[in-house]
Amino acid sequence: MVELSNICISLFRESSRITSTHGALQLTDLDDFITPSQECIKPVKIEKTKTKTGAKIKIGQDGYFDVSNGRQQKLQKVEITLADCLACSGCITSAESVLVTKQSQEELLRVFAEKKFTNNKGVVQDVSLIVISLSPQPVLSLAARYGLTAEEATTKLTGYFKSLGAHLVLDMTVAEDLSLLEAQQEFLQRYQDHQNDPTSKKLPMLASSCPGWVCYAEKTHGNFILPYISTTKSPQQIMGTLVKQYLSSIRQLSPAEIYHVTVMPCYDKKLEASREDFYSDILNCHDVDCVITAIELEQMLGTDKSLSEVESVPLDCPWPESPGAAPALRRHGGSGSGGYADHVFTYAAEVLFGEANAKLVYKNLRNPDFREVTLEKDGKEVLKFAIANGFRNIQNLVQKLKRGKSPYHYVEVMACPSGCLNGGAQVRPAPGDNSRELVSQLQDMYSRLPPAAPADNKLALQLYADWLHGRHSDKARATLHTAYHALEKNDIALNIKW
Amino acid sequence: MDNLKLTQTIPAHKGIAWNLSWHPSGNTFASCGEDKTIKLWSKEGGSWAAKAVLMDGHQRAIRQVAWSPCGNLLASASFDATTAIWDKKSGQFECNATLEGHENEVKSVAWSPSGMLLATCGRDKSVWIWEVAGDDEYECEAVLNAHHQDVKKVVWHPLSEILASASYDNTVKLYKEEIHDNEWNCIATLQSHESTVWSLAFDPTGERLATCSDDKTVKIWKQYRPHNPEGLVMEKDAVWKCVCTLSGYHTRCIYDIAWCHKTGLIATACGDDVIRIFAETEDSDPNAPTFELVCTKFNAHSQDVNCVAWNPLGNRELISCSDDGEIKVWNLQDGED
Repeated sequence: MVELSNICISLFRESSRITSTHGALQLTDLDDFITPSQECIKPVKIEKTKTKTGAKIKIGQDGYFDVSNGRQQKLQKVEITLADCLACSGCITSAESVLVTKQSQEELLRVFAEKKFTNNKGVVQDVSLIVISLSPQPVLSLAARYGLTAEEATTKLTGYFKSLGAHLVLDMTVAEDLSLLEAQQEFLQRYQDHQNDPTSKKLPMLASSCPGWVCYAEKTHGNFILPYISTTKSPQQIMGTLVKQYLSSIRQLSPAEIYHVTVMPCYDKKLEASREDFYSDILNCHDVDCVITAIELEQMLGTDKSLSEVESVPLDCPWPESPGAAPALRRHGGSGSGGYADHVFTYAAEVLFGEANAKLVYKNLRNPDFREVTLEKDGKEVLKFAIANGFRNIQNLVQKLKRGKSPYHYVEVMACPSGCLNGGAQVRPAPGDNSRELVSQLQDMYSRLPPAAPADNKLALQLYADWLHGRHSDKARATLHTAYHALEKNDIALNIKW
Repeated sequence: MDNLKLTQTIPAHKGIAWNLSWHPSGNTFASCGEDKTIKLWSKEGGSWAAKAVLMDGHQRAIRQVAWSPCGNLLASASFDATTAIWDKKSGQFECNATLEGHENEVKSVAWSPSGMLLATCGRDKSVWIWEVAGDDEYECEAVLNAHHQDVKKVVWHPLSEILASASYDNTVKLYKEEIHDNEWNCIATLQSHESTVWSLAFDPTGERLATCSDDKTVKIWKQYRPHNPEGLVMEKDAVWKCVCTLSGYHTRCIYDIAWCHKTGLIATACGDDVIRIFAETEDSDPNAPTFELVCTKFNAHSQDVNCVAWNPLGNRELISCSDDGEIKVWNLQDGED
């Protein structure tokens, strides 16, 4: 039985791979992404009454049947959810190879049409407010795809979601800013803890906003690496909390009535949204209900419709405190992945070493995806930060840490080569076009977005004051931070092939 | 027919003897096996004797060993997911670096001709390229996920930094570093085998490649460059074409192939316990070469032959090892016994 159920899994995995492909879920030719493992090892418990003769299984066209007790009883199909993938150590990351029912464009369109959705406890929930949160990278990807400016793509995409039935379409600048502000504070705390006890595994602090990297760390390096990973939530999850907890309260809605969709540059964000850590039993919902990616939006628009034909609608601003300027996608300096290294470095240089407006000059190491930046004080290196993108550089970083040879205080780690602008679910280059040129086009577009200024974000400061009970409160900590969990590796003999 | 004369039988490993590697000097070789040990063998008074046993480097079977071109370093690939680098700086061979990163079994390891790069591959379907970054320091240069299945073997081109890999997905892939952005890319996929490709070997020029497979054939591939005299049209820098298939000789899976860079002889290790030697015929057409079977050694071992390796000196000395745990040393002699 065990063998059969495992075979079922691999069959379903294969078919899910085909159905979820649509020619889209392939990785680009920048061959440095983390790839799924060869075998799914989810063990399946089959509920079965004991018979004297043992089981007889018949394979029919529409499933497997247990015929041991004289009549055909259809065996339960094995379904693999994202939660299973998160709990399993078989794959490093699995988002692209699993049938993602809860996280698909079909599900999204169904919720738009029916204003109802079934949560992961099987409860059908009425939806009274549909909120879409746009991250900058997929919007730029679609802008490049349809020959639009970043601003045009933002308003066209807002118009598109509104035409489907969304109530609010928001930028995520405030969540991005809160994530950076928290990461800056966390770094200071870790730096001081490290000064007091250098063996405390507080430094280097490793960025946590990339779910591919976090998932890989949890599954492959477990308790060795997890203490170094920043506990600050990613912008997606901060936005989730903001929408489900804060927005629901100012709109006087139950959080579960809000259907929250984020638009993201990578499939692993779906995994992140599905984490148990981001499900509240009290509120009875996830912080983010559905993640949709650039590549899926391209498919939703179809082959004959261009985003440029959609009517433009400005972004919404549902907050009582205006952010000052009009809502817009904004850039954070230093990288196309949120600017973590830059913002933490600048802040630490000023607060710890009195160097206001420290100039950041990155030095490429072995390849442009591994860069480092240092602060010197009296001829001594006092801060050393790095940006490590892509799987091979993650490997080199992890090995340095294991051998005690990491010279860094902070590393911005992203699993995709070139970071989030080249996320695994960004629109592919047109046939014959070079993916590196497309990435540099997106980098260029990103650098021309209006700049964000986290420390001066009035809305963020207001949220700290009113909603989170202050900058260093328990509520701020509980709301803006998360935890990670090591997964035990369990290999079963069936998978071993020589 | 020539005669493969057995000169020595060595009970070398408990369980399977997986692989052998000649030291570049030709007077020492290394062996490894299921018993998690590496043994170094040198000639002593006319016969081969164990000079050293390297233990405690790995927690599971050691699948392959490879001497560096300079002969100072030995790399070992293990099912414990690691690759160990051994050196003799302290006077005795010690493991001074461990390359971690493969998700599970490492199946093969190979040094580039310059000795500056190392390639590994394994069950996780990936091929890794490592750069020697200083004393006992190795940095991962690339993780290549071109294959769809288990990767069985990696081999470097003898003259340039081009890597070839053989896989359970029935293909061979070639990789090269793009000069302008230092990224490693798959530059060719060799498709023709109908089952797992277990091993491969370049000829001394690197213009031809011999592959062996579970489909019981050996194939010879030739590289055609742009503006080739044969008039073969191509979009890329070069294409590899299968120019010869040796079928009907082997009765089981062929696990290994060795192309002697001095004599041009090809030896195969087969699951039918036989070692076979092929030589290119004198009138061989470069675009459709012909090879003849010059020696068949039945019952070369009592079980599967896992590895064959020609002495790099070109003295027609061949070593082989088997599931039966034995190493055998052979000499290829003209004519029948």
